[in-house]
Amino acid sequence: MKTITFTINGVERTVIVEEGLMLLDVLRDVLHLTGAKRGCDNGTCGACTVVVNGKAVKSCTYPIEKAAGAEIVTIEGLAEDGSLHPIQEAMVEAWAVQCGFCTPGIVMDLYALLEFDPDADDAALERTLNRHLCRCTGYEAIEEAAKLAREKMKKASGE
Amino acid sequence: MGDFRYIGRDIPRPDAVDKVTGLSRYIDDLYLPGMLYAAVLRPEYAHARILGIETAAAEAMPGVVKVVTGEGCTIHYGDNIKDLTPMAVDRVRHIGEPVAAVIADTPWHARAALEKIEVAYEPLPVYVDAREAMKEDAILIHEDNGEIWHLPTLHPIPGTNVANYYRLVKGKGEAGFEEADVVVEGEFNFPFGSAAAIEPHGAIVWFKTDGTLEVWSSSICPFIIREDLAHAYGLPVSHVRVHIPELGGCFGYKSDITVEQTVAYIASFVPGHPVKWVATRREDFIGTLIAHGIRIRMKMGATKEGKLVALKTTVLHSTGAYADTGVNITIGAAHNSTGPYEFPHCDLEGYTVYTNTPPVGAYRAYGHPEAQLATERMIELLARKLGISSLELRRKNYLREGSITALGERLWKHNGDAEAAARIVEEAIFGHEKPKEDERYYYGRGFAALMKSPKGAPFSTKGCYMKMNIDGSVSVNMAGAEVGQGLRTIVQQIAAEALKIPPERIRVYTEIDTQFSPYEWQTIGSMFTLQGGRAIVRTAERLIRKLKETAAQVLRCDIDLLDYDGEYVFLRSDPSVRVEVTRLARGYIHPDGITVGEVAQAVADARLPRYSNPDEHGQGTMGVTYTFGAQGCEIRIDKKTGEIIVDHFASAFDVGRVIHPKQIRGQVVGGVTMALGAALSEELKFDEEGRLLNPQFYQYHIPTYKERLRKQTIAFVETPGEIGPFGARGLGEHPVIGVAPAILNAIYDATGIDFYDIPVTPKRMKAALEAKRKREGEDAAKEVEA
Repeated sequence: MKTITFTINGVERTVIVEEGLMLLDVLRDVLHLTGAKRGCDNGTCGACTVVVNGKAVKSCTYPIEKAAGAEIVTIEGLAEDGSLHPIQEAMVEAWAVQCGFCTPGIVMDLYALLEFDPDADDAALERTLNRHLCRCTGYEAIEEAAKLAREKMKKASGE
Repeated sequence: MGDFRYIGRDIPRPDAVDKVTGLSRYIDDLYLPGMLYAAVLRPEYAHARILGIETAAAEAMPGVVKVVTGEGCTIHYGDNIKDLTPMAVDRVRHIGEPVAAVIADTPWHARAALEKIEVAYEPLPVYVDAREAMKEDAILIHEDNGEIWHLPTLHPIPGTNVANYYRLVKGKGEAGFEEADVVVEGEFNFPFGSAAAIEPHGAIVWFKTDGTLEVWSSSICPFIIREDLAHAYGLPVSHVRVHIPELGGCFGYKSDITVEQTVAYIASFVPGHPVKWVATRREDFIGTLIAHGIRIRMKMGATKEGKLVALKTTVLHSTGAYADTGVNITIGAAHNSTGPYEFPHCDLEGYTVYTNTPPVGAYRAYGHPEAQLATERMIELLARKLGISSLELRRKNYLREGSITALGERLWKHNGDAEAAARIVEEAIFGHEKPKEDERYYYGRGFAALMKSPKGAPFSTKGCYMKMNIDGSVSVNMAGAEVGQGLRTIVQQIAAEALKIPPERIRVYTEIDTQFSPYEWQTIGSMFTLQGGRAIVRTAERLIRKLKETAAQVLRCDIDLLDYDGEYVFLRSDPSVRVEVTRLARGYIHPDGITVGEVAQAVADARLPRYSNPDEHGQGTMGVTYTFGAQGCEIRIDKKTGEIIVDHFASAFDVGRVIHPKQIRGQVVGGVTMALGAALSEELKFDEEGRLLNPQFYQYHIPTYKERLRKQTIAFVETPGEIGPFGARGLGEHPVIGVAPAILNAIYDATGIDFYDIPVTPKRMKAALEAKRKREGEDAAKEVEA
């Protein structure tokens, strides 16, 4: 058993867990933060994406030991004071949500990109979104949402 | 369109905010007090006798509560054919079959202990294809085939691996080919695939101390699960309660009963504890329901003027080790193999064949894409032989007002306009010049028309319950499953229109619970808008009637003199004589406290009109609701790599009435993309031992962001239907039907190469191009020699 401390969505948490677990196991089955989804277990579908120290990671293949001392943001940490984050707003407004299972991962990956680089170019959006599988939308609305999110983030960073 | 207040508007999705904030709760997000976790062992062989299972080492592993095997299990289940057991008893028949399970305190303890279970097997011959399983010397996958309980409408062939033989004869059947001047034949294959929703299947089952059973499942058929589990455990149906949380996509394979009986069987060993099991991705591929596995032999005949006269179809369905969920797909593929055309003579047969592969179940459009891949390729071959344009050949033969379908149903104007949909796609795809072949690419254009019939059952109804609250807002409760399609939005809009109140004042149910939800058969067959919408309209009418009944007492007049506008019930002849609906919601309370009338609540349901079982000719009524459409594409083929790039895809459907423009577009864009996966890359590959070679997303390639379609033309014809709400028909499945044949027809247009099966991967395309060049080179050489 290992004792690991990290910060999740601004709150310090300590867990005592067995070795060999991945960050997603701990988020979901220990902390019951279920916003990050389990779709494949091998880093292919992207549904488990969370942000660790400012970088998007696939938490299903991210060993929990690596998270010691880290700043972690999950989908639960994005909306503030009951208001949606601009990326979340964009996903709703562009009709990019159908079943919603891939949604949190996409939102978190866009967050890791746009929070630090609101001027990200189309190629960067393409690379980011290509890390996620969606079976419902055919990606058309997700592309629109990502571009709308960039616009919103640009506006917010200019203010 | 001007007649509607809320139909045809893009009102917001009620579930969008919870989905973008991660608060929506899917099956794996549920945690219950005292919950245990199960992991399931799958066999090493796709077909084998189980000689013994050693569980002691697994039982000694950390956190393990119990190890379960199928020994002595006597439960058999299935709605069409009771050929399923929750866990293998003494024989495994496919590579995903549950052999044993571990129940433990955490998911990882359960998984770790699985590795310690030892099973001794005696391998048996494996058949992964119907043609192998139908050979005379093939051993029987189910020795008691024919004796297993099945619906009386099914016809298993005892002593063979044929779980059902279906045959439909219309007109003179095969003898109708006498009237044909030109006949073409072909054989087509739609291989195994997976619906592959991003959310895997899962369930939680809890045998409670009070003798009831509580279940949560990632399913779209709570009432079927409830009845099946009640039957299996000898409980009154009322004592089984099934909840459906949010669903992360369905596309068919979460319909019918899938994993629930297995999880229930496991949980029955630890009464008092909820047991959760959620599939790994590999298990979702092999341990739930797979798709297709349909080979079709087709013969089509026409007069020299291009009038279709006869169709012969033989469907060979490799349906997997259990046929319960596959049998109706075979039947659907057979009778829908006419596509959107009228054939006076049909002989359509389907063999549902046991194979040592995971059971095939529903996949978006249920037999239609598989069958109409053949039909739409055959139309091209026939047109070529007739020397006429294939678009012209189609136009001469579309099902239209007065036509009789293969099932014997007469079509009316309200069934829609195939030709109008086709015209839109023809114009979008062929209305301009095709780019000329260049150094890098061949260019091609293809077309496919399509027809979708519903899938019913005698009891396939959908219920609705509504109550008006004291502020005039309305709560609507139904049991249609939201799988991503946006059903809740549609409920809100139809209820708003029918009740004449704004959608913002209507709250739609968010989860399904058989204890409280009105009965629904299951949310399948693109029928929720059609049937569920009709149920909403009927319920609204009853609710309004209740308001009027109470108002008639208050206003002291006959009920038929009253009208309703969403805010008031009023005297039609003098609208100033009126009462607010808010004062009628709990009955009307007079100033002295004496109350008259009933609470404003109502319930109703809706089924398809006169749905019937097939008769002795395999014909019957599907409920007179068909949807027609057309699809087409412009493609480029990379000469070097064989890569097929779809530059433009066009779809048009006669949907009767567009209820929500954004959502209906979302269905089409998503459906076309999903079907492109099937046409160009997706195939579950089993080796000859029945082992799945590609059970992961990095091996089974579904379309990625990079491969998204950049240009889609999407249009709708609106010939109002007579059954659905405000004329609407279904659309959820339709966008996948014509995609593969449109692509294959375009490949021929680009290269002169005919494909008869999918997926056409770059590797296959490249090999076909090389073979063609070689052939042409040899022909040229021969000419030189001559």
